[in-house]
Amino acid sequence: MVSYKIWILISALILAILFIAPWNAFETGVIIKSVERNSTEANNRIISGMIIHEINGNLIKNNADYSRVISDIFSSKGNETIRLNIKTDKSEFVILTDKEPQITIGNIPKTKIKTGLDLSGGARALIKPVNVTLSDSEIADLVSITSERFNVYGLKDITIKSIKDLEGNNYLLIEIAGATPRDLKELISSQGKFEGKIGNASVFIGGTDIAHVERSGQQAGIESCSAYQSGESCSFRFPITLTEEAAKRQADITSKLAISSENPEYLSQKLDLYIDGELMDSLFISKDLKGRVTTQISIQGSGQGADRNDAIKATQENMKKLQTILITGSLPYKLEVVKLDTISPTLGKAFSKNLALLAGVVFVLISLVLFIKYRKIKITSAVILTMFSEAFITLGIAALISWNLDAPSIAGIIAGMGTGVNDQIVIIDESISNEHISLKERIKRAFFIILGAFFTIIAAMLPLFWAGAGMLKGFALTTIISVLAGILITRHAFAEIIRKLHE
Amino acid sequence: MSSQHNQAHHSTLSKNWFDKYYKLMMLVPILFLILCLAYLGFFYSQNQDFILKDVSLSGGTTITLNTENLDINIDNLESTLKLKYPDMNFRKLDDIRTGKALAIVIESSASSDELKASIESSTGIKLDNYNSNIEFTGPTLSKNFYRQLIIALIIAFVLMSIVIFFLFKTFIPSIAVIFAAFADIIMPLAVIDYFGIRLSSAGIAAFLMLIGYSVDTDILLTTRAIKNKEGFLNQRIFRAFKTGILMTSTAIIAVLPAFFIVTGLPDSFRQIFLILAIGLFADIINTWLTNTGIIKWYCIKHNIE
Repeated sequence: MVSYKIWILISALILAILFIAPWNAFETGVIIKSVERNSTEANNRIISGMIIHEINGNLIKNNADYSRVISDIFSSKGNETIRLNIKTDKSEFVILTDKEPQITIGNIPKTKIKTGLDLSGGARALIKPVNVTLSDSEIADLVSITSERFNVYGLKDITIKSIKDLEGNNYLLIEIAGATPRDLKELISSQGKFEGKIGNASVFIGGTDIAHVERSGQQAGIESCSAYQSGESCSFRFPITLTEEAAKRQADITSKLAISSENPEYLSQKLDLYIDGELMDSLFISKDLKGRVTTQISIQGSGQGADRNDAIKATQENMKKLQTILITGSLPYKLEVVKLDTISPTLGKAFSKNLALLAGVVFVLISLVLFIKYRKIKITSAVILTMFSEAFITLGIAALISWNLDAPSIAGIIAGMGTGVNDQIVIIDESISNEHISLKERIKRAFFIILGAFFTIIAAMLPLFWAGAGMLKGFALTTIISVLAGILITRHAFAEIIRKLHE
Repeated sequence: MSSQHNQAHHSTLSKNWFDKYYKLMMLVPILFLILCLAYLGFFYSQNQDFILKDVSLSGGTTITLNTENLDINIDNLESTLKLKYPDMNFRKLDDIRTGKALAIVIESSASSDELKASIESSTGIKLDNYNSNIEFTGPTLSKNFYRQLIIALIIAFVLMSIVIFFLFKTFIPSIAVIFAAFADIIMPLAVIDYFGIRLSSAGIAAFLMLIGYSVDTDILLTTRAIKNKEGFLNQRIFRAFKTGILMTSTAIIAVLPAFFIVTGLPDSFRQIFLILAIGLFADIINTWLTNTGIIKWYCIKHNIE
């Protein structure tokens, strides 16, 4: 009869397989990563996480299929509306649209195991408010403003978390999967204080005094490009609408201004635009506007690059950034980027390959040592199987709690495997020695040692949850999960196997 | 029957030799520990700190260039950068299987924008998301990291000590275990310093792990010697030694290949495995010479034979 302890191990392994879901590797299609707000797709209740299998009768197996099918459909069309028949895993959608679907897509992940930035590439930033301690509600505001900025900017696949460290410092951890924009640092760290001033008088500030920002259309976009130093420079322009109140304030101030003596078409003072206290632009005020309530203002700016393409790209990014700040408003404090990592997906791939090699080498070496020592295939395989079961259960739990496996987490799993083998050796050696007392008693003694080792590991790893802004949390977490899986599941099953081998 | 006889014979032999020299044997690790402490003192006077910190603990930038598909004159790049950033640290990573240059790692206290621009102008290659990793840690944050990881290390040590006292509830044997754990931290620290290895924040986490990793053999020894009283003391100690040495060897076998093989991992993480391996070697002498000696002495004093 097989003991319930073995059944618990088997159930745990089955559950781990269910959590990891490796059969996803056989699934074809593309997964929807994000859907633009207020787009036709969003209004038709297409949501992220759905898997697209077919579009207008064309089978979609991967990213490349999707791009090809969409470009086939939309390249030949004129101005007419197109009927898209999108078949997903949830249901079928028929949408009428005149532009390409405003969704981002990706290949279906092979398993439910989430790989962190160290393995799959992306960017990670840790930001900290300068010289202020934020309350929990202020931190929540910061999180929401930052997510709003990314949203407006058009970046998807982002997680933003607030983190408190051992000494009570607050940080915001931002993780972006995949490619990252060049000016990420500015986007996340700018306070975003936008102010329009005439002389020393403040006319309007970003967020509260701006009713609308025109982001696209005929009046918003790149105006012209020209040679500049050794490269190119382009300029952009977009209109904003002030609130009635701010417009009145402006009228009030301009009514007191004289007409410029050198430049009789304009007023004597200019409208200065500041971003985070730095002068960005000075606009002449036409004499017709003296004392008039006008809500429309045109904002201008520029961008430079080595060639025209580069310059256009830089200009578009600058415009987008400025619009983002104007829409989302400013923060009441300065932010500092204290850590910024951008990680290439290519190096992560080399790592994944090496990890498989490592598992192989450790498997061979440990088997060899154990076989030399015990001269028994059964005992050796029991140890190895238990060791890999533990790693597997740990991965399953990581998948279940959607933990991003980063480099420290992997190191924790490897370290956990090491302690697992140690415990098993204690069980074997206790059980084969000292024939005067019962096997049950001997295994009980082994568990005293194992429990002692278990508690010291927990004690050693616990402080890592908070130290260093939690950047090494993964190491502590996977180690603790793996020793917990050991003490609760695999040790008992292993002891049972050893008991059976004795009989 | 014959094997049992053999074992008994063997332990009588080891008993004589062990009884004679165990106090002397205790001194070997203690002398080595004193040497390590003296070296750390000397190191502190030279460097104003107990370790060499990498940029994750001192602030600055690490750029890892994926050189597999890039045409770069590596020596030229190194000499150009060295002129501009004297504090720079330049390393090459090779693929363990093919021996091909995989990546180069450049560390400097300079800001990421500055270092990136210098590399770009020297190589003529634009760094992007695909050909490079750029990691920047600000100076205040890295100071925070360092301070907090040291606090974490102290907390972990104290918590471990509480667990040990709770487990054995006797003073001398508990202190012996805690002392071994202390030596297990100090020795690899001195070795790391001696070889000029720059410690990363992950490396400090390895020292925490070492606390948990190294005491299991001490717990094994103390339990077998003091709590379970079948057979002679020397037999019990020798049995614990046979089990413990196997435990430590397999642990070393698990972590040492990780150091050599996992080259794609951010380099700072590989040192976790190196530190664990050195610490485990240290643990062999600290457990089986010093801790064993103290335990034997304690047992003889308290008539636990």
